[in-house]
Amino acid sequence: MDKYEKLLDMIMDFDDSVRFAAVTDENGEMLWNSQRTGLKNIVPVTETKQTILRALHAWKENAGVKKNIGSGLYSIASYEKIKRITVPLDDGKLLFCSVNNDPVKSSINKRKSYGHMADMGKILSIVDFIKSQK
Amino acid sequence: MGRYEKVLNMLMDYDESIRLAVISNTSGDILWNSKRSDAKLQVPITETKKALKRESDDWVDRCKAADRTALGAPLYHITSFEKTKRVTLPIDAFHLLFLSVDNTPMKNTKKKSYGRMVEMGKILSIVDFVNTFE
Repeated sequence: MDKYEKLLDMIMDFDDSVRFAAVTDENGEMLWNSQRTGLKNIVPVTETKQTILRALHAWKENAGVKKNIGSGLYSIASYEKIKRITVPLDDGKLLFCSVNNDPVKSSINKRKSYGHMADMGKILSIVDFIKSQK
Repeated sequence: MGRYEKVLNMLMDYDESIRLAVISNTSGDILWNSKRSDAKLQVPITETKKALKRESDDWVDRCKAADRTALGAPLYHITSFEKTKRVTLPIDAFHLLFLSVDNTPMKNTKKKSYGRMVEMGKILSIVDFVNTFE
């Protein structure tokens, strides 16, 4: 199994709220992807590809500030129903994840909920683990 | 005091890790800004302006995508670097809020740290609160 397939498996296993995960090349072509069984895409693949291209462009520009604020770690675009996460990988590749963001239901907390927190520390530690594999 | 200046003041008061807060128009032009007095800008202002322009364009795309799909309303976008997090969110149809937040890892953590959490719920509730005075 390729290490990026393993990455997708680990990400999907780690958190049920991850609906879809993909690894793309530097041109935005999906090399591997994994969709959670039983879930339907709520965003057409063409829209997802546009998002991935936008993210790749942003990460290329972000390389210009590496000397000032360090390497880029991740980006999260949060919508009411979905969070879209990108993580730059080696060789210009990109990890893209679509995560459920339904508001947290709680009888204790009556305040407005803006959705779930994405456990980026866990996702980044999985990415680091995979990067360390040959 | 205008509501945009009020947003900036409330955000700077709420969290000391916010180094710079900016409100721009949809073209990425800086309209109001507030910089923490003892903080030095890590990124040259020309680079920040470039990021603002790109984020403004990306927000137009994100809002159009939200109209076409079932993503729900767009809430915020975070780009995390080793030393800084950049947060953007639409304040209304014509203005964007940009925050530069300290992301230096905590010293006392034993595991590898990927930086600090930005409390987006609080930031969004401040923006919602100020928008009620429109």
